Amino acid sequence: MDITKLEDFLDDSGIVFLSYGGMLTQDLISNMTDALEKEAEKNNVSMSASTNIFTIFVELSQNMMNYSKSRAENNEKFDPKGLVLVGYNNEDNSYYVLSRNVIDVIDKEKILPKLEELETMDRDQVKKRYRELRRSGLDKHNKGAGIGFLEISKRCDSIDYKFTQISEHKYQFMFQANIINKQKQ
Amino acid sequence: MENLVIEETKYTPKINLDAQKGLIELTGKSYPENTFEFYKPMMDWAEEYFNANDLPKTIINFEIIYFNSSSSKLFFDFFDLIEEMSNKGKYIEIYWRYDPDNDSALEAGEDFKEDFEKLNFKLEEK
Repeated sequence: MDITKLEDFLDDSGIVFLSYGGMLTQDLISNMTDALEKEAEKNNVSMSASTNIFTIFVELSQNMMNYSKSRAENNEKFDPKGLVLVGYNNEDNSYYVLSRNVIDVIDKEKILPKLEELETMDRDQVKKRYRELRRSGLDKHNKGAGIGFLEISKRCDSIDYKFTQISEHKYQFMFQANIINKQKQ
Repeated sequence: MENLVIEETKYTPKINLDAQKGLIELTGKSYPENTFEFYKPMMDWAEEYFNANDLPKTIINFEIIYFNSSSSKLFFDFFDLIEEMSNKGKYIEIYWRYDPDNDSALEAGEDFKEDFEKLNFKLEEK
């Protein structure tokens, strides 16, 4: 394999960090977060932007990990291969965290309305809903509070997502959060 | 009552629970895989401590750099317990310590402070 092609591609796309492969584990996630912290330090990312990047990275990675694990526990045939990356966009001095994995149509139906609603909300509404759900615990499940996408929205400047059907019951789910690297005045 | 110390890891904070000094301290990052399981010993300890102990004052120091959403819920549940104990007449001071450059940590502290108006909740720059 011509590894320089991959390197050139990563450089051209501003990708500073990428992980692609099978089952994510907590150890892997914390080692990647560690590496990200070192990258952020090296590149002079403001503390606010960098803690937001780490939080979003952790949130998306743990989502994918929990999803794969719940599939494996049910002995379902499932492709745990996921992609998570952090990139830099020169044009507006912003970073993005992107994740992509395969999900069932049933989960797409659960996630999509949450994301559609998020798009209609401004920052204050996101904060308000986050605090309401945190207080009530309405969406709480055994792994979390069900407020992950709200947490991400609170901590970024914009989101993008896309569901691509790959078979009758399966979708590729792509999610991206954009974080502007604002420097403190 | 015994003290409880849990050492810091890459993804969990140092937890120092001192029944003699009346001190509850969390320092570091918080994104455990199973948040509710991880914090259960702390929650159990706090409940027992407030029910058994009669120190005039308890100090709670939170210095969390960043945390995942399940930790956010867990902290909420913890402050909820603290509020309950405070309503029972316990004197408790909470210090939410944050780096002045870390806007998100400050914002998180402000939100908790607003959610628990009755608590003696102080935001403190490091």
